[in-house]
Amino acid sequence: MSDDKLLVVKDLTTTFATAGGDLAAVAGVSFDLERNETLGIVGESGSGKTVLSRTIMGLQPRVNTTVTGSSIIDGFEVVGASENEKRTIWGTEVAMVFQDPMTSLNPVMRIGKQIDEALRVRLGMNRKDAKARAIELLELVGIPSPVQRYNAYPGQLSGGMRQRVVIAIALACSPKLLMADEPTTGLDVTIQAQILNLLDELKERLEMSVILVTHDLGVVATRTSRIVVMYAGRIVETGTTRDVFYHHRMPYTRALLESSPKVSNKSHTRLITIPGRPPNLLNLSDGCSFAPRCKYATDQCHLVRPELQPSVEPGHSFACWNPLPVNAEATLP
Amino acid sequence: MLRYLTKRLMLLVGIVFVISVGSFYLIHLLPGNPATVILGFGATPEAKAILYKQLGLSKPIYLQYFVWLGNIMRGNLGISFISQTTVASVIRSALPIDAEIIVISQIMAFAAAIPTAMRSARKPDGILDRVLGATSFTLLSIPPYILIVVLVLFISLKLGVSATGPSAYVPFATDWITNLESLSLPAFTLATVSYVIYYRVLRSDLIATLQEEFITMARSKGISQRRIMWRHAFRPSSVALLGAASVNIGSLLAAGFVVQYLLQIPGLGYTLILAINESDFLVVQGIVLTVSVLVVAINFFFDFVINIVDPRISRE
Amino acid sequence: MSNFSLEEAALMMVEKPEKGEPLGLFFWICVFWIGLNVFGAIFANLLPLPNPLYENFNAINIGPGLHHIFGTDDLGRDIFSRIVYGSRVSITVGIGAIVIGFGIGAPLGMLAAYRRGRFDAILTTVMYVLLAFPAIIATIAVLSFWTPRSMFKIIVVIGIASIPLVYRVIRTATLSVATKDYVIAAKVQGATDRRILMKELLPNIAPIAVSFFLIGVATVITLEGALAFLGLSVNPPTPSWGNMINEARTVLSQNVWLAFFPSLALCLFLIALNFIGDRIRSHFDVTEVKL
Repeated sequence: MSDDKLLVVKDLTTTFATAGGDLAAVAGVSFDLERNETLGIVGESGSGKTVLSRTIMGLQPRVNTTVTGSSIIDGFEVVGASENEKRTIWGTEVAMVFQDPMTSLNPVMRIGKQIDEALRVRLGMNRKDAKARAIELLELVGIPSPVQRYNAYPGQLSGGMRQRVVIAIALACSPKLLMADEPTTGLDVTIQAQILNLLDELKERLEMSVILVTHDLGVVATRTSRIVVMYAGRIVETGTTRDVFYHHRMPYTRALLESSPKVSNKSHTRLITIPGRPPNLLNLSDGCSFAPRCKYATDQCHLVRPELQPSVEPGHSFACWNPLPVNAEATLP
Repeated sequence: MLRYLTKRLMLLVGIVFVISVGSFYLIHLLPGNPATVILGFGATPEAKAILYKQLGLSKPIYLQYFVWLGNIMRGNLGISFISQTTVASVIRSALPIDAEIIVISQIMAFAAAIPTAMRSARKPDGILDRVLGATSFTLLSIPPYILIVVLVLFISLKLGVSATGPSAYVPFATDWITNLESLSLPAFTLATVSYVIYYRVLRSDLIATLQEEFITMARSKGISQRRIMWRHAFRPSSVALLGAASVNIGSLLAAGFVVQYLLQIPGLGYTLILAINESDFLVVQGIVLTVSVLVVAINFFFDFVINIVDPRISRE
Repeated sequence: MSNFSLEEAALMMVEKPEKGEPLGLFFWICVFWIGLNVFGAIFANLLPLPNPLYENFNAINIGPGLHHIFGTDDLGRDIFSRIVYGSRVSITVGIGAIVIGFGIGAPLGMLAAYRRGRFDAILTTVMYVLLAFPAIIATIAVLSFWTPRSMFKIIVVIGIASIPLVYRVIRTATLSVATKDYVIAAKVQGATDRRILMKELLPNIAPIAVSFFLIGVATVITLEGALAFLGLSVNPPTPSWGNMINEARTVLSQNVWLAFFPSLALCLFLIALNFIGDRIRSHFDVTEVKL
């Protein structure tokens, strides 16, 4: 059973050496991912979700960064692998859709060349085949008149079109795992849904697993089977999407849910904000990182860090000393 | 792109116009009657008549400009007062030497700057980066004329290489080995001067480029480090390098003048300085005009190349 | 920076400074060195130095020693004394020309960036045209025709030639500050233009201006040396670092010291100036200025 999992992350920790001391952007994260599954990683900005997604595939910055633990993608141990070794899985096993399509495409290379490159270098295609395939990919991600666009520079495309190109590049070598790091944050609301639906559709067609990283619970609600909620570099709650939405135990998850707008809200409904700010990762207390902002916090919360513990539903766990009651469903709209 | 180039071309025409007016006006900076100063007191009436015709000196000053400009357009830059040959032919024989020195020096500078800057940028604050950083900073402060004195001292005295001079210079077509030998020292000096600038500009731009998200993106495709450096980092950064080269060309020519003078290589610089010392003003004027127009044209060419390399520029 | 052209000095301003680096001991050594040189240049005639023009034919080309610490030249003149007096020409030309360049270029650049609009558009185009003109060639050209040459003319010509570049550097620096929220806030609160320019903009562009000023001085001093080589600077026997090196060239094989000491004086002065300029820029962590 467990050897069939596409991704197994165990106790993954990413530490940056900064001028102010060591900073653990990701601290002891463990989870796994089935084949053809979509998993959501949710958290505020600064919760370590981007660093986590990069560390999983070994794409963390190469200087002043230490990674421990284990991340196994389809049997390949990423942690400790050299750049040359990791190159063998990048693109073909795992690929990433980056957050900001304005900065993630090389501004001085034609987009066709940027897609071609992976095909030619990684799959050894010749120039002609690569071009044909690149045009196919552009068509696949829904870019109109792909033959002409092939020769366009990123600057000549809109944000939504660029993000489609970024997706096409990620899909070029048919990866088994697609990491999508806030794939819609830089885009207009109307385009966001298009891109997310495209990702969904492609996932089904190409039989990939997807990790969808976002700060927006609305994005993951209908698209993922399971959700990991992160805070200050740690997992604070994880479970099926349904459990996280309706049976959450961690006050932070509740706060995240309450702070995202819902269509069902009456107009002029005041959104509930999370008081305080995300913690400074350079001087974390020994207790729960969320305690300073939590209205249920007790002395114990400030002194001792809670570990993940199982909740009543299978596969649902949370890290909290004073969890919300088991049936919290009624309080949600 | 086309609109951008048209705009630049119009600017180019404007600049050349300013240069021509400036060059024309130079002789009126001379104290006294230009004809007397240019020809000296013992000038024959015939010589004076030729000069009056050349410069249109009997007409009002704005008409003089058009007379002068008309002559220039026909390639008539006047006659050298010292050598009695046309200024155009003086320039024609000297210019290839400058061109050769500069081309060789630029090839050397680029060949050295690009790989070292890439090495440095890959490991900022590494040993190589620190050594090159300190060396280039010091070299940046050492004027080329001191550099050449040191090099001449070192090479000709210690290594016993034959001294160069006007007699030592041989045109490329006659004997290219001797030709290259005689130009290697000035080219090396200019290469050092340029290298320092190119290295620093490229290194600092590469460091910034390597932090861009599209580099991480390129990494995630699983392509080699080498390919990332050349295809993804160098190309955007080469805009800064080309910009530096474009800006550098004017001062490179000037540095070349001094170096030529010190080594007595009969290029434009050497000719210019002789002409200044002998008060051969029409030669000075001709060289100034030619060099200025060339610099502007080269800048325009670099602009064009930068545009091809970075499509963002013409869209702004 | 000192390869004859201010364009390159400006180019170096694009280099990303390391964030808030400390000034360091070497910075203060450089400041002391510049101070010492300027002091020597100002008070040269009060110092117990031999006359730099006095030719002692009994002591020709002697090496460094007790009577003449740097030795004497081929006419028996004291090299140390000539270097101290020679610094007057170099330093005066360097500072004088850049003062002219800043005096005209800096206020124009600040105003253009602050006012924007037509004033900025026209001025910037004009400066752009002037910038495209190779300034060194123009300097050489004007100085060869505008005879007889004097230090005053050299200062004026180089000073004017530097205006467009100072304008561009200051304008770009101001522009990056003028669009900041606090400046807009000050405007909205009804602060006078004069107040915004002096209190908000000036302090913010000061580090880059000071830095460019110092590096500019170094560049002009180098240029003056080059002009001396071309015979376009002050006439001998007045010593300047440039013409001392130039004269020494011909007797290189008999007396190396004659070329060595003025070269050393010039290089150390330039390195110190450039270092101070560069360090000021990085210490105050000037926002990256794109030119």
